Amino acid sequence: MKRYAYYQSCINEAMTREVDRSIDLWQHDLGIELVKLHESACCGGSNLDYVSPKQFALVNARNIALAEKQGLDLIVSCNTCLMTIRTAKKKLDESPALRAEVNEILREEGLEYRGTSDVRHLLWVLIDDVGLDVIRKKVKNPLSKLRIAPFYGCHILRPSSVLGKDNPLEPTSLDMLLDALGARSIPYEHKNRCCGFHTLLVAEEESLNVAAEALKEAMDEKADFIVTPCPLCHTVLDGYQSKALRHNGLKGSIPVLHLSEVVGLALGYSERQLGIKRHIVTA
Amino acid sequence: MSDSTIQHHEESRDVTFRVHRFNPQVDSKPYFDDYTIKLEKGITVLRALNYIKEHVDPTLTFRAFCQAGICGSCAMRINNMSKLACTTQVWDELDKAREPGVIKIEPLRNLPHIKDLVVEMDPLVGKMKKYSNWVDSKMPESNWGKKEFLVSEEEFLTYDKATDCILCASCVSECTILRAHKEYVSPAVLLKSYRMNADSRDGIHDQRLAGLVQDHGVWDCTHCYRCQETCVKNIPIMDAIHGIREDAIERRGTKDTSGARHAEAFMDDIEKKGRLVEATLPIRTNGLAWTLKNLLPMAVKMIIKRRTPPPPPLVKASKGIQSLRKELKEMASHVAKDHEKKSGE
Ligand code: SF4
Ligand code: SF4
Ligand code: FES
Repeated sequence: MKRYAYYQSCINEAMTREVDRSIDLWQHDLGIELVKLHESACCGGSNLDYVSPKQFALVNARNIALAEKQGLDLIVSCNTCLMTIRTAKKKLDESPALRAEVNEILREEGLEYRGTSDVRHLLWVLIDDVGLDVIRKKVKNPLSKLRIAPFYGCHILRPSSVLGKDNPLEPTSLDMLLDALGARSIPYEHKNRCCGFHTLLVAEEESLNVAAEALKEAMDEKADFIVTPCPLCHTVLDGYQSKALRHNGLKGSIPVLHLSEVVGLALGYSERQLGIKRHIVTA
Repeated sequence: MSDSTIQHHEESRDVTFRVHRFNPQVDSKPYFDDYTIKLEKGITVLRALNYIKEHVDPTLTFRAFCQAGICGSCAMRINNMSKLACTTQVWDELDKAREPGVIKIEPLRNLPHIKDLVVEMDPLVGKMKKYSNWVDSKMPESNWGKKEFLVSEEEFLTYDKATDCILCASCVSECTILRAHKEYVSPAVLLKSYRMNADSRDGIHDQRLAGLVQDHGVWDCTHCYRCQETCVKNIPIMDAIHGIREDAIERRGTKDTSGARHAEAFMDDIEKKGRLVEATLPIRTNGLAWTLKNLLPMAVKMIIKRRTPPPPPLVKASKGIQSLRKELKEMASHVAKDHEKKSGE
């Protein structure tokens, strides 16, 4: 069993609880154990870095140091948490002065940021550590009848200087996983584009237009589902779907699944067990 | 040996350029023309287009000037991504082609289309005027030409990278929010604004900042990083966008824009609970009236599906919150000292 420290994203705790619930169901089937970091704090969600760059470094140095204390890599299941914490890590790794300043404060709590733990997305762990061949063998319910539109979301791809796993313009990781699960992923332009989440409360019209374009393309391509590795993309594409389509004079609907749910479906868990019924758009 | 390795070792081959065509004087809608030409390895896309214009089809229209990645005029979409034709190798693009041997060439997006591969740059120039993208000198005009107006090397380093921008509009072409709303300020304009605001010789910093925080300004960026990923000069455009936001919060506080209030809410919640309190985030960003008007129908659906975030009293603070609070307080004192040092300089 490979062990990892699991960073619980605020969104998963508050609004997309089905993500953690489905991971809990199947993690041991795939030989991994995600140990929840109950002491971690909100990463700042791609906002804290300009509100207060030093607090941003401190909070995330602490998040990573909690994983380092256990000698584990830090795993996240939210794209924006991934990008945010990796950005902090890069800053800390590149600046001995910042690291020293942060560590002086963290020392009181018995923590030290050393830079030894990697920060990775669950999708990367499935591909690199579990392995697609192992996953392929574990599939009980191949999703072969489904046409799936993979929606990567931005912060698992860009900035590539921080993420670096996939080609930011022609990503393949999610497609590869879907293939291992027996599903057919369709090529479409929006797979590497933005869902609009980060401006939902600030420039709502723009966000709804961005989401509607992605939804429309997936529907035009006759996809059965959209699948995303990011709970924020899910929130827009599922929760705001009818509003976005209506706002853009579009009709129809398309269910949106979390990465953790498609994995669970292929491994034989039911929609009810995986929490798919909680989605706004019925699958 | 794989196909791509074979391809890579070939010194010359037939390449098809699938070029977007449109002449508003005769065409009712755009279409694609295929030009297949034999090319030697080492040729750029611009040289191939020049060859097509000279030897195959003189009506093909595109812009280019320096042929050296300096003037920015040859930006176009090559295989679905905006880049400079003069610095893009045909052989590299063959590796990325979706259809083997076919390179797709289109005009930039998000700017009005004029003809074939040429777009109108006026909207971008108009925005640069609107946001005063120049240094408005602090030095009285009577001193111009008499006195040097120096900047320190340290200061220059803060906007050194931003000065690499050649205004090619590749980032503009790929911008998510500009695609969603044509009034959006645009990444290149934000980059220039940042550069001007960081310049100590400039006298209209606050006026420029006041413009940048309004609707369709700096807060509308969705953090998608497409601009940065596309920049032909590898400029970290998002650092500039974040720089303007940091400056806006520092100088103007959080009262005047929802974007700033939204960002500040993250800091508040981390200090109080170590977690984001999602339930009140819309209210703190836009007020109660906006939230009721815009989010009530959705909240009802969410309640039915039992996916509403817990109300603030039920959001449990993260374990170890006492230590986190102490640490944040200590860091706040470091930040205050930094500010004192900066203002004392
Ligand atoms: S990060 Fe902002 S400016 Fe850049 S492309 Fe995305 S929305 Fe546009
Ligand atoms: S920021 Fe980069 S991509 Fe954008 S106009 Fe300038 S050089 Fe071109
Ligand atoms: S022709 Fe000047 S940048 Fe390409």
